Amino acid sequence: MRSTRRLTGGLGVVAATALVLAACSGTPDGGPEGSASGEEVPEGVTEVTFWQQSFTDEENEWYESVVDSYNESQDEVHVTLTAVPGDAWEQRMTAAQAAGNAPDIRTMNYGGVRNAALTSQITPLSDLISAEAWDDLQENVRGSVTVDGEEYAYPMLVEPSAILWYRTDLFEAAGIDGPPTTWDELVADAELLTNDEVFGMRLAQNAPDMSWSTWGYQWNVAGHLPISDDWSEGMATEDYAPLLQAFQDLFASGALPPADGVGYPDASTFGDGQYAMMANGSWAASQLLSDYPDLVPNVAVAPMPSFDGQSGQTTATLGGWTWAVDGNTEVAEEAATFIEWALGGDTENVVPFFEATQFSKVSPRVSVAEAISALPDVDTVNPWNAVIQEEIVPFAQPEPGYPWNVSLAMGEAIEAAMQGTPVSEALAAANDKINTEIANSQLAGTGS
Amino acid sequence: MAASAPIIVTEPDPARSAGARDAVHRHRRSARAGGPGWAVLRYVYSAAIFLAALFPLAWMAISGFKARNEVVSSPFQFFPDVWQPQNYVDIASDPQFLRAVGVSFGGALLFAALSLAVNSMAAYAFARLEFAFKRTIWVVVLMTMFIPGMAILLTSYIVVTRMGLLNTLAVLVVPGAAAAVHIFFIRQFYLGIPTSIEEAALIDGADRWRIFTAIFLPMSKPVFVVVGITSFLAFWNAYVWPIMTITEPDSALTQIQQYLATFRSERRIEYGLLLAGSTLAATPVIVLFLIFQRYIISGIRISGIK
Amino acid sequence: MTTIQAQAPPAKGRARRRPKPAHRDNRIAFLMLAPALVLLGIFVLWPLVYAWYVSFFNWSFYTESVFVGLRNFRLVLADPVFWASIGRGLRFSVIVVPAILILAFVFANLVKAMGQRMGTLLKVSIYIPTVISGVIASIVFVLIYEYRQGLLNWLIGLVGFENQPWLGSASTALLALTAPAIWLGLGLASLIMLAGLLDIPESYYESAELDGANWWQRTVFITVPLMRNIGLYLLVTCFVATIQQYELPLIMTSGGPVQSTLLPNLHIFLRFTNDDTVGYSIAAALLLFVVLGGLSAVIFRVINSEKAVDA
Repeated sequence: MRSTRRLTGGLGVVAATALVLAACSGTPDGGPEGSASGEEVPEGVTEVTFWQQSFTDEENEWYESVVDSYNESQDEVHVTLTAVPGDAWEQRMTAAQAAGNAPDIRTMNYGGVRNAALTSQITPLSDLISAEAWDDLQENVRGSVTVDGEEYAYPMLVEPSAILWYRTDLFEAAGIDGPPTTWDELVADAELLTNDEVFGMRLAQNAPDMSWSTWGYQWNVAGHLPISDDWSEGMATEDYAPLLQAFQDLFASGALPPADGVGYPDASTFGDGQYAMMANGSWAASQLLSDYPDLVPNVAVAPMPSFDGQSGQTTATLGGWTWAVDGNTEVAEEAATFIEWALGGDTENVVPFFEATQFSKVSPRVSVAEAISALPDVDTVNPWNAVIQEEIVPFAQPEPGYPWNVSLAMGEAIEAAMQGTPVSEALAAANDKINTEIANSQLAGTGS
Repeated sequence: MAASAPIIVTEPDPARSAGARDAVHRHRRSARAGGPGWAVLRYVYSAAIFLAALFPLAWMAISGFKARNEVVSSPFQFFPDVWQPQNYVDIASDPQFLRAVGVSFGGALLFAALSLAVNSMAAYAFARLEFAFKRTIWVVVLMTMFIPGMAILLTSYIVVTRMGLLNTLAVLVVPGAAAAVHIFFIRQFYLGIPTSIEEAALIDGADRWRIFTAIFLPMSKPVFVVVGITSFLAFWNAYVWPIMTITEPDSALTQIQQYLATFRSERRIEYGLLLAGSTLAATPVIVLFLIFQRYIISGIRISGIK
Repeated sequence: MTTIQAQAPPAKGRARRRPKPAHRDNRIAFLMLAPALVLLGIFVLWPLVYAWYVSFFNWSFYTESVFVGLRNFRLVLADPVFWASIGRGLRFSVIVVPAILILAFVFANLVKAMGQRMGTLLKVSIYIPTVISGVIASIVFVLIYEYRQGLLNWLIGLVGFENQPWLGSASTALLALTAPAIWLGLGLASLIMLAGLLDIPESYYESAELDGANWWQRTVFITVPLMRNIGLYLLVTCFVATIQQYELPLIMTSGGPVQSTLLPNLHIFLRFTNDDTVGYSIAAALLLFVVLGGLSAVIFRVINSEKAVDA
């Protein structure tokens, strides 16, 4: 009996404590506007909150250091940085927006800028950041943050989304001279390179990854995107057939694996020696350099092949990250000032980022690019940098700004074709889905 | 809380009698579920369970000793080429890891205790008491079990934000404490307890609260262990809600799943650290279970009547 | 406090006395219910009402929200992907739930029959997977299913079968996901089953044994009927948890190939992540709620209408 009483009493105390905690422990400023901060923000100092998607350690460290330096450089504004894991980003960000406590500054994909601008989620920055900083940007990148003549975000970096990484040793062993320049060649080479241990080619494995990593090929094969310019009708036409056919042929021949445990942007299975060729973004460089140094001498890069064999065409898009200011912020000016200081001002502030990521990403600013190329050891650190800078970046297109479901419809079509659905059937289904999305999201006329 | 007058219940101390009872059962059972076929089946099934449970655990623990690239390297390899304790050393010596384990462990205990208190009382009311709108309330409570998390993700976040609960311990512990699934479970158990047990006490003039605390709670140990473990694990494995509601950078309330998430990013997973960290984090939870599991075997013993 | 006779016989007698039950325990009942009802009210029911409310709007966080009536629901109902995902969730559950229930039942009988030391070992083993998070489980199973060097293909290779693309083929991927789902769910279900089994007084078996009933008869006529309460609980909760599974397909297959593992909650999660507005995903989640509640109500009716719904 004694034990019973103790148990009950104990539970009661715990319950009471927890309820009291619930009632009392709310921070006084925890209301919708009160984005509490871990660090002490001194009296009279304006706080600017900043959420970044959590990237690799090296990248996260740069974010921390640039914020710290800014906080030390002046005493009027304090920037509070939070790294949010990518797989919980959407829930946390959307919830914060719904509750009205979104951060003042956030990282954002180029592809998201247009929609965020049109729905007032982000603040126009044209007048808050100096003309000098804007003019330093490369034209095509500046264009992807511009909506109806106003700049809405400041670009941080660009990364071509699709580059052909190939194993020179395996090419030599198979008697292949150089990288394929057409998709037909790619399919043939991949088959030739496939054996019991090595798959000939690695492409995106599932519909979501295909949706964005194939944008460049979609441009290349059809000369347009699968939706009309004013977003009023689907254009997933037969023009795309050769692309879907190539995926189908590669898969049927066994040159593409039936499944690969890691996502498209992760180069580890290539690094492990399971592939002769891989399509991946420029970011793969830093992973290969730091994790697979033994493989590096045998890896070369080339632009992804085109369908007609001509060089100097678009086969990749320029993805990457920008910083944007929330549409409801009360400290837009302070936020913009910080962004300009960190990304658009002294090149000393951003160059370390590109160094830390082994020049696997490209700066959209002319002056930063110059400062980097003046560094003595860029090409020794990243042996693939020159090809990427000269043969791929100049021809890459910005990411499309239409809703993700349009891209996904194409990704699903490619996946279906790969798994054996007749190409024209897959394309017709994609076109239907795109038209449904146009109707559901009332897209007609909102395109760029 | 509970006024204490002696209530006479014939409830043998489970801890003391468990051993003796088991010995008796073992003897009898071996006689009745006999036959060599059964024995073989039994061993095959047990072996399958051991293997299914231990293979991933062993793989996780051993892979923690591997270098970053070795974990997913091909061909598949169970043991590392070179045993590197570095991952374990790094994690164990990281004060943030220890803090996160502490927060998760303490928070999960608090959460389990709160969940038991709140849900067992409600379960008792539904199982034994007569009150107005009982059926309606029961259906409403039961209904909450079927709400997909995504339906109320945003709106419940708005509620806790308006209540000023962000970045507090309360936001982690309180919102999920009352759970229809646990009320349902405990109630199902209470429904199985014969009413004759309480009759004597009711005649003696004991009130309902006394019957709950003096008769039902002592018999609830196996149920409470199961519910406690379920709640504990729900808190331990929680990921999205803590990330949404604990927004301060480097908060003292950072939990273990948030800590482990720092080893995964879209483009690269630090397998060695992730697996070493998961192994270290799993240890205290397994130990806790080792301590409490014996109550599940003790069963509810009610002097013969049912 | 004197109407004791109303307590026996238990559930059935009380159910028949409706529609006018004596509300004699009102005060103590509401005191004991209060904490649970208050918490559920604030953190579950109010958000639910709120969610229904916003589902009639084109909910914008930055500009005025626009009332759109049933539009969000119409979009979901007209979406074949939503319905296909529900059907897929049901197929998935039809495999996973019975498997868990049967394996857990066997497990509980096994532990009961074993000595204490073996029993403890078994209990700890079955519990371990629940401690290892779904993320780790997914990684382990991806490696097991790997095409060229996976454990499973190595095993079937020993008996002369070709390598199979378990996760890479639309015909096997959903089936392949059932294994980790069962593996993750089995632990708690087994412990619950065990707690229920040990709740049955030994005297029942003793008298049955004296009457000459064999093990099988004892199981069918004593164990199974007496575990109905627990069985119903497990059936409903396992079903609800299984059909809402989304972590495994998210990590292992991203819902593919060709949407063959796109379970309902994953579909909703992906729409939430990918859409520019939250209208579709909230409406879809609410419709899933209606579907789940309806299916569970059917389960309650069919299996145990009196005990489950009538308190």
